[in-house]
Amino acid sequence: MRLILSDKDIRIFEHIPAPVEQILLEQGINPLEVIVSRNGKLLSEDTVIQAKDEVRIIRIAHGG
Amino acid sequence: MQPDVPVCSLCTEPAVVYQRSLNRHLCGTHFTADVEFRVADTIKTQQMIVRQDRVAVALSGGKDSTALLLLLHHLLPVWEDVRLIAITVDEGIEGYREETVRSAEQLTRRLGIEHHSISFTALFGDSLDVILSGRETQACSICGILRKKALVVGAQLAGATKLATGHNLDDEAQSVLMNIFRGDLQRLVRNSRLDSSGKFIPRIKPLSRISEKEIATYLMLNDVWRELPECPYTRYALRREVRSMISGFEYKHPGTMLQLMKSKEKIERYCKGSMISEALHSCRECGDPCSGDLCQVCLLRQSLGK
Repeated sequence: MRLILSDKDIRIFEHIPAPVEQILLEQGINPLEVIVSRNGKLLSEDTVIQAKDEVRIIRIAHGG
Repeated sequence: MQPDVPVCSLCTEPAVVYQRSLNRHLCGTHFTADVEFRVADTIKTQQMIVRQDRVAVALSGGKDSTALLLLLHHLLPVWEDVRLIAITVDEGIEGYREETVRSAEQLTRRLGIEHHSISFTALFGDSLDVILSGRETQACSICGILRKKALVVGAQLAGATKLATGHNLDDEAQSVLMNIFRGDLQRLVRNSRLDSSGKFIPRIKPLSRISEKEIATYLMLNDVWRELPECPYTRYALRREVRSMISGFEYKHPGTMLQLMKSKEKIERYCKGSMISEALHSCRECGDPCSGDLCQVCLLRQSLGK
C-alpha cells in the first residue's frame, strides 16, 4: 500500500490489511493531527486499508 | 459499499469521521450538520450574537477563520438584521501571509461579504518581520499584542458591534493550560465577551467547542480546504509544545480538551465576585482603555524604542 505524506514523501506500508489508526501510529503520527483520504474520500480512523490502496495523509497546520 | 468502511451511526452512508468521545461514526452530511448545529448552539446559549449586530470576523484566510466565516454566513439567515463583515490583518510575514490574504480576498468575494484589510506597516510603521528582527523568540507575544490592536482598529473603522475570532477548542484548551503554567489566574478567568465594560467591542469565539481536526474535516467536506503554510514563528512558541502535549492526552483520553474547558468554567464560577477586577484607566499615550498607566501596545512601543 502506498502512503503519501504531507511533505509529498511516499512510503510503502506492508503490514496490511490494517486500520488507518494503526498505520498512523506506526508512522509516529497522532491521528488527531492529520486527515486521511483514499481516492479523494475522507476516511475515519477505523477504516481498514487494503494492499491496492493509495492513502494520503494531510497534516493540519496550526493557526488561522 | 466497501466492507472495510464503517457506516454512519445515523444512516447507511460511509462514515468519514469517528467521534471517539461519543463512540459515534458520521457520514459527510451528518458531520456537517453536527458542526453547524454545535456552532449555532454555542452562539445561542452564550448569547454571542443579538439582533442588529454588525459582526466583524477576523479573517486571516487560514483554516479556522475561513470555517468561521463560512459557518456564520451559512447561519446568518437564522438571525434578524445581523450583518457580517470581514477584517484581515496583514502582519507582514514574508512567504506566509501573502497566500492566506489572497485566500481571504477570494472567499469574501465569493460570499459577497464586505472586506476590510489593515496592515502592521500602515498602523505601526513596520512589518512584523522588521519589528521582530533579533527578537524572534518573543514573536507570538509581540504579534499577539499588535494583532489584537489592529483588529480592534479595523472593527471600529467598520462600525462593528462584535468581533468574532476563529479560536477553536484546541486553542482554548491550550490557553487554559498555558495560563495555569504561568500562574495567571486573572487571565484564566477573564471573559472578553462579558468583560467589555462598554469600553471594548466584545469578542466572541463561536468555534470554541469545535476541534481543530473537526474544522479541517468540515472544510474538506465543503471543498474549501487549502493546504496553507504554517506561520514560521510558531517554532518559538510555548503554545506549540502545549499543543503537542494536549493532543497526545486527547488521543489517549478522549474528552480531555472539553474537560479542561469545564475546569475553567468551574474556576470562573468559584472566582465570581471574589476576584478583584483591575480598574480600567485610559492609556496616558494613546487614550485606549487599559489596566495600568500605559496600554500594552504603548508599553511594547516603548520597549522597542518606537
